[in-house]
Amino acid sequence: MIAVATGVTPSKVELSVLTPPALQRIAFQAAAILMGFALPTIAAMMMDDRLLNGVSVWDKPLKFEVSLTVHLLTIGFLSRALDAARTASRLVRIVYVTSAVSAIGEVAYIVLQAARGRQSHFNFDTPLESIMYGMMGVGATALVVCAFIIGLGILKSRKPGIGEGFKEGAAWGLMLGAVATFITAGVMSSGLLAGAGHWVGGVHSDAQGLPLTGWSTTGGDLRVAHFFATHLMQTLPLAGYCADRWLPGQARPVVWIVAAFIVMVVVATFVQAAEGQPLHL
Amino acid sequence: MSWNILFGLASDLALAGWVAVVFLPRRAWLNQLIRIGAVGVLSVLYSSLVFVYFFRVKGGGFDSLAAVRTLFESDPVLVAGWIHYLAFDLFIGVWIAERLDGVGLSRFLQAPILAATFMFGPLGLLLALAAGLIPARDARNDSISKRHA
Repeated sequence: MIAVATGVTPSKVELSVLTPPALQRIAFQAAAILMGFALPTIAAMMMDDRLLNGVSVWDKPLKFEVSLTVHLLTIGFLSRALDAARTASRLVRIVYVTSAVSAIGEVAYIVLQAARGRQSHFNFDTPLESIMYGMMGVGATALVVCAFIIGLGILKSRKPGIGEGFKEGAAWGLMLGAVATFITAGVMSSGLLAGAGHWVGGVHSDAQGLPLTGWSTTGGDLRVAHFFATHLMQTLPLAGYCADRWLPGQARPVVWIVAAFIVMVVVATFVQAAEGQPLHL
Repeated sequence: MSWNILFGLASDLALAGWVAVVFLPRRAWLNQLIRIGAVGVLSVLYSSLVFVYFFRVKGGGFDSLAAVRTLFESDPVLVAGWIHYLAFDLFIGVWIAERLDGVGLSRFLQAPILAATFMFGPLGLLLALAAGLIPARDARNDSISKRHA
């Protein structure tokens, strides 16, 4: 078996985006499927006059298609930091397939509910919709746990040619991002702060929300902290990569400073939302 | 014969084909069996219905929405139209399965795409075309690097 052969793959092969290595391919194929959903979603948004929370019913599917595509591209790209033993491992493959299946499952159900003009999250109207909302929770949790496992795998990997900053950023970005997402999204879905939904006070509508994100401008919105928490998964690897290039030798402290800063932002926006205030400095 | 019975039989046959495509191990002979067997039977059914009933419908045709609506007011032509869906969707389903096997897409990811094709034909086809944009290289390449290592 080849599990012992560490880092023998020629780097030229690895850098080709269109003929990617196995794990990356799983993630990229799933991302392509989500983009396949996005095309008719955009067209539907232009034709459909039905609204949910004051915005097009297709607003939410598009957000999830885009954000989960970003997630899949992220774990696909970061799979390059896994060494050969972990790339070949069955567990890691299962983790990638699970991420892909969960992402597609989430989007498929969100699209179905949008087409029916109904809520997907926080919908307890019928027994089936309650079960499906629970299933979405399982899928979302799976995505987060998988991201954590990939991060841990990268942390333990010894792969030549991978910069210290990129490795640390990728590993801690995925792990911290997973934990922070689990906490922020977990509080959001538990309804502990203000009942079901991501709003804390204010107008329960996306119509007056901030552009693009729809975050509340009248009350607290737990999606803000969720956003910064989850995007640790992109910001830290990027920070590490930049540090490798421009501050070699100090990559590790750079990653940690950026991590500490973003975690502070997550905490601050979370507290702000919990107190019922819209996003402000 | 009641058209409802024919509708039910044709749907059951197509469903059996879909269950095989989604759940059974992929075998070349099985793909052929579905394509030639199931799709073949559906095609014969469709053709014979069209032979016998299509031109009986006064004012029926493909040239306007009203003409198509008139066509489907005839039960046997409506059943034929339904069988047309079943046959073409199933054929495309087998094609999608073979193509996604070719690009090395996990069966777990193929399942939702095939389900979408079963329910809403072109939606599943769109997703399959999107997935097919990321080609397989490593299935072969990985085994080569394995042998070298």
